[in-house]
Amino acid sequence: MAHVAPDAPAVRRRSFSELLTSEFRALPIVLGLVVLWIFFAAQSDVFLTPRNLSNLLVQSTVVGIMALGLMFVLLVAEIDLSVAAINGLTSVFMAKIIVEYGFSPWIAIPIAVLLGAGIGSLSARWVTYVGVPSFVVTLGLGLALNGLQLILLPETARYSLSGTGLERIALTSISGPWAWLVLAIGIGAFAALVLSNVASRRKAGLEIPFLQGVVLPIGAAAAFGILVVAILTAHQGIPLVVLIFAILLGIGGYVLQETQFGLFLYAVGNNAEAARRNGVNVAGLKMAAFAIAGGVAALAGIIAASRTLGVGVFSGGGVGGGTLLLESIAAAVIGGVSLFGGRGAIYAALLGALVIGTVSNGLNLMGVENEIRLIVTGFLLVLAVSIDRLIEKATGQQSF
Amino acid sequence: MGVETAQRPNTEVRPSDTPLVSMRNIQKHFGSLHALRGASVEVHPGEVVALVGDNGAGKSTLVKVMAGVHAMDSGEYLFEGKPVHVSKPTDATELGIQTVYQDLSLCHNLDAVQNLFLGRELTGPRWGGRRIRRAESEVRAREVLTRMRLGGMSLTRPVGAMSGGQRQNIAIARSILWTPKVVILDEPTAALSHSAAESVSKLIRTLADQGLGIVVVSHDIHHFVVNSTDRIEVMRLGANVASFKSSEVTGEQVVNAMVGGNVGVNLAG
Ligand SMILES: Nc1ncnc2c1ncn2[C@@H]1O[C@H](COP(=O)(O)OP(=O)(O)O)[C@@H](O)[C@H]1O
Ligand SMILES: [Mg+2]
Repeated sequence: MAHVAPDAPAVRRRSFSELLTSEFRALPIVLGLVVLWIFFAAQSDVFLTPRNLSNLLVQSTVVGIMALGLMFVLLVAEIDLSVAAINGLTSVFMAKIIVEYGFSPWIAIPIAVLLGAGIGSLSARWVTYVGVPSFVVTLGLGLALNGLQLILLPETARYSLSGTGLERIALTSISGPWAWLVLAIGIGAFAALVLSNVASRRKAGLEIPFLQGVVLPIGAAAAFGILVVAILTAHQGIPLVVLIFAILLGIGGYVLQETQFGLFLYAVGNNAEAARRNGVNVAGLKMAAFAIAGGVAALAGIIAASRTLGVGVFSGGGVGGGTLLLESIAAAVIGGVSLFGGRGAIYAALLGALVIGTVSNGLNLMGVENEIRLIVTGFLLVLAVSIDRLIEKATGQQSF
Repeated sequence: MGVETAQRPNTEVRPSDTPLVSMRNIQKHFGSLHALRGASVEVHPGEVVALVGDNGAGKSTLVKVMAGVHAMDSGEYLFEGKPVHVSKPTDATELGIQTVYQDLSLCHNLDAVQNLFLGRELTGPRWGGRRIRRAESEVRAREVLTRMRLGGMSLTRPVGAMSGGQRQNIAIARSILWTPKVVILDEPTAALSHSAAESVSKLIRTLADQGLGIVVVSHDIHHFVVNSTDRIEVMRLGANVASFKSSEVTGEQVVNAMVGGNVGVNLAG
């Protein structure tokens, strides 16, 4: 609000409640995370060590990447209950062609991702052309894919991937000065994007909210990045899987925030008929969203396979998707993505996955049983959505 | 009663110019429901045509056929005197026919600029993933809104957080953003307060004075229809039953034509 162009109306000072339902929507989740971290730090001396925080991040990537892909489908007011099964099937398929047919991982990985995208777009076709609700189509498809996954597995019910080169995805870290270089490139790209927006606003003679639009976003991104990289380099450096997640977050954020495709996702999710009347190809858009969710789920499956050094019945969360499916949906929702479409930003995948990862990691350190973890995660899911509703009620502002 | 029976909409109004849009003898079924039974309407440059009729008369269906939302079963659709094929919304918008739907067709999670340009975003190159040129869009949006004397409207608030009158204005602004020749408005004043409705009717007249053809569906017979339009087409059960010059008719006469003396007929079909 530094400066107001002469012919523009005065920039209205916005109330805190309005900000809570728009720019600062992430605030309650961030505060929640801080509370969780304080709690676990008080319970365990190990929690805040670089080693544990690195582990926590790595443990959160698979669910985070799954949630990121799923977001595209949730934004258009659909759901894909087969993402975990896609994750499992494609990783088993990939392992099979590597182990039995001698494919190089460099070939097998893209094939697996394309297979995931193909499966996703098939369910979208079924949803849009036949008109069966997506939760039915993808529930059925998920079970069918679980069956296929079991068929593809050998007698031993497991393919080991050690020695295939695939394990290097999980074992590689970028350390020392390289880590800082990676961070500098990331911040540089983000700053370039922000500054190019500023440049075009200046060219168009529009006001430039310097503090809010330039200093705060770049400063916050830099501070957050430096903190994370400092913690990670204090242990072993930036794990490759964390870097992959970060790159996906960057690309996803750009697509959702800056491009026409991203805007169409939000438009279709809120009012598909209005979008159609304005010339948006709704069926094509949904197909792309499901393809992205499927392809990204396959990528998450590959990372999971690399971390566990193999695939089996358990891949993709096991039959029915298990906790992987539920945690992926929960992560997106905790992060602020609406199941009714048209609402949610890219940070949802990161924050949601961090909440789930933190609970899991922290309770594990406290020696608490898995049952408790499920109860706490489920409770947090309901709590996150409830807080959102309560803020809407208290402020009378609907958040979008 | 001064009720004429359905005939060619009067060429007396502006004999000199070809109608911008002329639709004749339109038939439309929804399954077994016969929604349009030979309905007709035409609009000339600078003219405001009102479509009136009881609920279910087929007004919305007729304008949706004009807008390309529904394809007609049969009938004649001329644009500037030439037969055209309009079967989807973009066919109509490419001809210069813009529609403000009864439900406004806005996305409540998007802001005014995003709604104004929806489906026709100003974008950058393909390699950049068709990045939206936000700054230019804002400038164009501000221009249009200023022309509509709505210069103070927020461009960044989600439309869902705005009042009904503001949403109506955004929907109208969207229709004129691309300098159309014809604007169709379905019940533009129905959901508005008295003063907001007044300003919308002023706006409609301003647009007609700039040479646009306007087709308005309205139930506001006694105020808006008789005072702010040029010609009135009365529809009943999917067909035209009367046609008036707005300056030569009273609200009572229009209402009589709408109900056709057959009060109690099940108009819902
Ligand atoms: N999409 C549709 N599907 C089926 N029937 C419809 C549809 N749209 C309108 N109708 C029916 O067509 C008739 C005319 O409706 P409409 O054009 O909306 O009337 P009006 O706008 O004059 O009130 C009504 O009987 C309505 O129920
Ligand atoms: Mg209607």
